[in-house]
Amino acid sequence: MTLRPFRLAVLGLSLLIPAALCAVVLFLILYSGPAMIFNGLHFLTQVNWNLGDLYDDPVVVRGIQVPAGANYGILVFVVGTLASSAIAILIAVPLAMGAAIFLAEIIPPRIRPVLSMLVELIAVVPSVVFGLWGIAVLIPFIGSHLSPDGNGYGLLAASIVLALMITPIIASTLLDALMQVPRENRESAFALGATHFEVVGKVMLPMVRPTLIGGIVLALGRALGETMAVLMVSGGGVNILPTSLFSPISTIASFVAGQLDSAEADPTNMSVRALAEIALVLFIITLLVNAAAKLLTSGALHVRKRA
Amino acid sequence: MKMMSFLRAGAAALAITAMAGLPAAQADTTAVPLIESGSSLLYPLFNIWVAAYGATHPGADITTTSTGSGAGIAQAIKGLVNIGASDAYMSDAMMKKNPGMLNIPLAISSQAVNYNLPGVTGLKLSGPILAGIYSGKITKWNDPAIAQANPGVSLPDHVIIPIHRLDGSGDTFIFTQYLSESDPQWGSTIKYGTAVSWPAVSGALGAKGNSGMLAAAKANPYSIAYIGISFASQAAEAGLGQAALLNKAGNYLLPTPETIGAAAQSVADHTPPDERISMIFADGPQSYPIVNYEYAIVNSHQPAAAIAAAVRDFLTWAITEGNSPQYLNKVHFLPLPSAVVELSKAQIAKIQ
Repeated sequence: MTLRPFRLAVLGLSLLIPAALCAVVLFLILYSGPAMIFNGLHFLTQVNWNLGDLYDDPVVVRGIQVPAGANYGILVFVVGTLASSAIAILIAVPLAMGAAIFLAEIIPPRIRPVLSMLVELIAVVPSVVFGLWGIAVLIPFIGSHLSPDGNGYGLLAASIVLALMITPIIASTLLDALMQVPRENRESAFALGATHFEVVGKVMLPMVRPTLIGGIVLALGRALGETMAVLMVSGGGVNILPTSLFSPISTIASFVAGQLDSAEADPTNMSVRALAEIALVLFIITLLVNAAAKLLTSGALHVRKRA
Repeated sequence: MKMMSFLRAGAAALAITAMAGLPAAQADTTAVPLIESGSSLLYPLFNIWVAAYGATHPGADITTTSTGSGAGIAQAIKGLVNIGASDAYMSDAMMKKNPGMLNIPLAISSQAVNYNLPGVTGLKLSGPILAGIYSGKITKWNDPAIAQANPGVSLPDHVIIPIHRLDGSGDTFIFTQYLSESDPQWGSTIKYGTAVSWPAVSGALGAKGNSGMLAAAKANPYSIAYIGISFASQAAEAGLGQAALLNKAGNYLLPTPETIGAAAQSVADHTPPDERISMIFADGPQSYPIVNYEYAIVNSHQPAAAIAAAVRDFLTWAITEGNSPQYLNKVHFLPLPSAVVELSKAQIAKIQ
């Protein structure tokens, strides 16, 4: 392979993205190093998060300067993140599948572009708008109709707002895939006497399954990392694990955004390092989710091939 | 070769722009751009100030942003902004690490404790009661401790929803300082700060910003929240009650210009030269217990003499003309007592 200027330029550009990713991870690991030593594995299993007394003299624990009384446990936020994203996916997937199948199969082709564009438009609405809608409409509704104690803020509100944000992502990827199912497969199924339901359920959906899972993973990525909308409607539960759909929660991303300002006033800088460690945990969770999805899609393909 | 000539052309262009820029900067020293960032509570006042200051000082160029007190302090230390706005003064440890920083009071603010209790008005609360509510020891509105402080008021048998700030906040700082000063147990365990480790209370809510506190208190009957005084009008419109709080002398007081001023006056006399002092739970029979200085956090060593002069001019204007009621009344702040104005002036003179 000769290294011509064009090849070199493209190679350099293509290496920039993985290099940036590696730089971010490396930075997070190096920066949060002292926090990892201070926290150990308790970081993931403890419920109590305490920045410590930032107005008192710092103390030295295990050779590391920390604010007196500091204790960093993030179990509440990990649970909040996973629970809200999981419920959001549970709500969003049926909605998105219904919308995509409707747009691909039922709707007259002439108005399909208009409606599919509308679905895609929802995907670009800024998250703070969803948050405001949540505060103005969703929370009073949950508070007066669903919640036993009249409080609308919490896990359910966060999940519904997240579901609305990710439904168009899943729907538009699925729609694109459905539109690409070869006409022959569809029409052969009809010719064999399959009903419309059977054509969609038994011929088209199995063909687009990898794309559907890919869309869900994309959506999950957005849900796990969403900050502002969640911060506005989640009720910000700290130091207490959620017990019901109506419990206040915090997610990793929203908590980091909320705490950063106070953490900056920490003379030992340990609070910011602990927040960097949380960010690293979020990164690992997202990575695991993506890896699991990759396994799932390849597994699904194998099953089909054997059958 | 091509590269070299290109570089040379660029260097020449830079030199020309630098030469063109220099005489202009020397001719007009007031045209130094200043950046202010920090406290969201001070932000509305800074907006009013900058507009008024710009009208009388042509050439003044001040940018204000609302980021949060902690960010204001951190950015002022790093030199990213000229003036950091903060509701809380810097801690001893932070001062030791950054000895060149100044904490200059600009005005006096306070905080209300608001409640959403259908059919109940004129509620009286104390630090220990609030500490009990926020730590989960007092869970119902008809708790004996609350009933004892409010004889003759029929209190509902309903669970209390305490609302706290989710983001780092000067309001959390002064509220938890009141609890720390008045309730020994809170003072020895949870202490105070712009964010504290809120005890696990089932149903307790966190909200973002004063506007979020207001929205959450409005949406949740039987809730209680601490909200900056600049939001007093909106809180009243939302139908929230304002609690009378127990002060050090044992009187229940509402936040009024008289009670806030009394607290400021009682602290003014023993404010140290570096002006880092808490006004919480101040002495005096008429002193409202949650009052604070709003600070400008400034590095005494500015990068250039012109910048230092611009900062001095603006801050001096802020604590003199800027402290007149026409500006402060809009945000329910009070002017600095005259003794404190002198201390602030002495600190401003240190900016070089």
